[in-house]
Amino acid sequence: MSLIFIQLLNGLQSGLLIFLAASGLTLVFGILGVINLSHGSFYMLGAYLALTLTNLFGDIFLALAVGVPLAFLCGFLIEYLFIRHLYNRDHLQQVLLTFALILVFNEFQQVVWGSYPHAIPAPSYLADSVRLTSGLSYPVYRVALMAICLALALAMVLVIQKTRVGRLIRAAESNREMVEALGFDSRVIFRLVFAAGTALAAAAGMLAAPIESAYPGVGDRVLIVSFVIVVIGGIGSIRGAFIGSLLIGMADAFGKVFMPQFSSFMIYALMAIVLVMRPAGLFGRA
Amino acid sequence: MLTRPNPSVIVFFLILLACLVALPFVAGTYPVKLMTRIIILATFVLSLDLLIGITGLVSFGHGAFFGCGAYAVYFVSPESEAANVFVALGAGLVLGGAAAFLVGAFATLTRGFYFIMVTLAAGQMMFSLFHDTDIAKGSDGAFVNVKPELAFHGTSLIDFSDWHQFYYVCLLVLVAAYFLLFGLVHSPFGRVLQGIRANEVRMSALGYDTYRYKLAVFTMAGMLAGLAGALFASIDGFVTPELFNWHQSGLAIMMVVLGGAGTLYGPIIGAFAYAMLEEVLKSASIVGPLIADHWRLGTGVTLVLAVLLSPDGLAGFLSWKPSRVIRAPSGGPQRGNVSTRPVRVAKALLTKGLSKNFEGLRAISDISTFFEANKVHAIIGPNGAGKTTFINLLSGTVKATAGRVLIDNRDVTGWPAHRIARAGLGRSFQLTNIFPRFSVRENCALAAQVHKVSLCRLRDRPYQELEARAIDRALGVAGLAERGDAVAGNMSNGEQRQLEIALLVASGADLLVLDEPLAGMGPEETQRVVKLLRDLVRDHTIILIEHDMDAVFAVADTLTVLVQGKLLAQGRPDEIRADQSVIEAYLGHQAKVGAVA
Repeated sequence: MSLIFIQLLNGLQSGLLIFLAASGLTLVFGILGVINLSHGSFYMLGAYLALTLTNLFGDIFLALAVGVPLAFLCGFLIEYLFIRHLYNRDHLQQVLLTFALILVFNEFQQVVWGSYPHAIPAPSYLADSVRLTSGLSYPVYRVALMAICLALALAMVLVIQKTRVGRLIRAAESNREMVEALGFDSRVIFRLVFAAGTALAAAAGMLAAPIESAYPGVGDRVLIVSFVIVVIGGIGSIRGAFIGSLLIGMADAFGKVFMPQFSSFMIYALMAIVLVMRPAGLFGRA
Repeated sequence: MLTRPNPSVIVFFLILLACLVALPFVAGTYPVKLMTRIIILATFVLSLDLLIGITGLVSFGHGAFFGCGAYAVYFVSPESEAANVFVALGAGLVLGGAAAFLVGAFATLTRGFYFIMVTLAAGQMMFSLFHDTDIAKGSDGAFVNVKPELAFHGTSLIDFSDWHQFYYVCLLVLVAAYFLLFGLVHSPFGRVLQGIRANEVRMSALGYDTYRYKLAVFTMAGMLAGLAGALFASIDGFVTPELFNWHQSGLAIMMVVLGGAGTLYGPIIGAFAYAMLEEVLKSASIVGPLIADHWRLGTGVTLVLAVLLSPDGLAGFLSWKPSRVIRAPSGGPQRGNVSTRPVRVAKALLTKGLSKNFEGLRAISDISTFFEANKVHAIIGPNGAGKTTFINLLSGTVKATAGRVLIDNRDVTGWPAHRIARAGLGRSFQLTNIFPRFSVRENCALAAQVHKVSLCRLRDRPYQELEARAIDRALGVAGLAERGDAVAGNMSNGEQRQLEIALLVASGADLLVLDEPLAGMGPEETQRVVKLLRDLVRDHTIILIEHDMDAVFAVADTLTVLVQGKLLAQGRPDEIRADQSVIEAYLGHQAKVGAVA
């Protein structure tokens, strides 16, 4: 029983974390129409930024405050240098270019940080565990992490639903030509969206760093799982990404306990089921 | 369409082949080993081009079938003896093909982004199958202790542990695979694959079951990838789950596109170029130790630049001039002397209580009507009346919620689009739907191809004359007899609409369903098409949607009026013109507008 409860919390926590990465991916794909395979690299960038900045400032949250804007700038730059050339190209070219970017980023990581895994300390004031029942406790850092993820998710929804920029983003998603005809520069909107997606992925990587440490290829799994979530939730749907993330988080957490050898199977099986039942995803438009 | 390699490419490859054959005589073991690896890689990448370049299926899980082939060799190799060469390679072929069939059965149901994701996920599933479980020693990988061998009465004929013999076997496999695929792509089967890449919806509307074709080609590509994997396992006698890694699939896509997708020879160049680049960047003596340490950075940057600067791949650099490959069978000049065609009884169409709900919205409710053979039937109605939905129900593009559709008393309700097409219903779409990069004759050749059901039709000859006649007739009827060699995408809008009708005629359909055939046409073009339609009813039944009322009254024998998804009236044009309810609901509106103007 207690095991189930713990796994429920673990599933929730990993689901919320992956939601940050997946929501960035679904925004970029839904609005820019670009399949961004290098999204996992931004998660990895986040993990290593956490390493360097925590060493520098001594606290993961300070590192977050500096690192996320840094990642935003980084995304801005990458969109300008590479991604904007892909808007009118087919999926194949997008897959290729962003795959080549993965190779570049992976090697960049090797040059700067080397190939050894690094642990990143959680802040000492959050090192305790919360006692849930007698004999059952849960690390405070993970609780804080969930709270931050929820806050970020809420902020994102508010920005998209309630602000002028958000309205433009939604408009650009449904009809890019019209937004341009109304006098808005869709290139700026796209660049902002891409940078925001990058920042979200990096934030996820930074938050996860004290739990899973920073190592080469840390973003690979996140990338593939995020894509699975985008497919499950429906392309471009934040709500779908949220539900999908929680589903995947739970499937993974319980799969690990009940059928450890086949736990990686679970998420793909889930995707297959959803695709058969609803080909456009849970909240996608057919 | 696919281009045949021109002389400079052939010369290039002959020189390359000569060099490869001569290599073991002049070089030591290391270059031979390296080249063996590259040749196997090229075979693998070649199989991927069949999917990406020819059929337009971007598979991101192709590495999995390569891995399956490699593991097959491990499975069939006894502990301390050599497996038979044919058993080992055959096992790779079969396991790769079987895995591809299983994955393909699901994946080819999806398209575009979803196809990429499903194949990626399938590859990852197989990776975790071999990585997380104890099959074949899990994540550590496993050894094939003795490499495959072919012995006859104790004398060894082929021994894979001999580097030179193995090298030549791999080279032979690559050359054989190339010619096999070349033949396949230029067969009627391959023509259909290219048609699917160009325009899958149209292929389906012409009567091809595209799912079966895609599944067949996916399985074939998996078999060849499995064969390459089996060879790969014989290099070092070691198999590891890393063979399934999605990075392998990504690199393979790289090589296909780097070389030039859809040419078959391009990806071979791509594989060689990529492997050479990697080798050069790894050699400290050439590029210095700093770059050699981080050679992946070099390959990554090169690839980024390659994608940004040369979308056509390396094959684009070899100067070839595009030459037409798929020669549509050309028959004797049988100019369409239009009005002398014999009258032929075409098919009639009947609907009974046809209804369609879209999530509660009644788009079409309870339409029962009869379309008599050899007449032009126009469906009219205000915007949003459900006209296009109605004909989508007839052609099987959309499934009816209730009711039946009968073509000449044959119940076709619920049939998929391609089967209804084969039952004789050909349709056009609101937006012109042809194969823009194919010539006019090639377009019609795809439509006229007989035996669309059979996947195994690999030869043109037995049907050449029959198909040529169908094509000539269709072009003659549609007034395009002189335009056979024009590239469809370069023609005027009116001519493209005519071509679309020619496609339907060539496909043998005798019940034509046309969605706004006159849209966007000038008065002269309109007149031409009206004449064409009047001529077509000699041997066809025509159902069309049209907004141009003058043209409708000029061309139609009956009018069917839809309003808000319901059948309002049906009858001869003069009856409809006099019908009070129609005037109120639809024509009256226009009449009023006319009066004001």
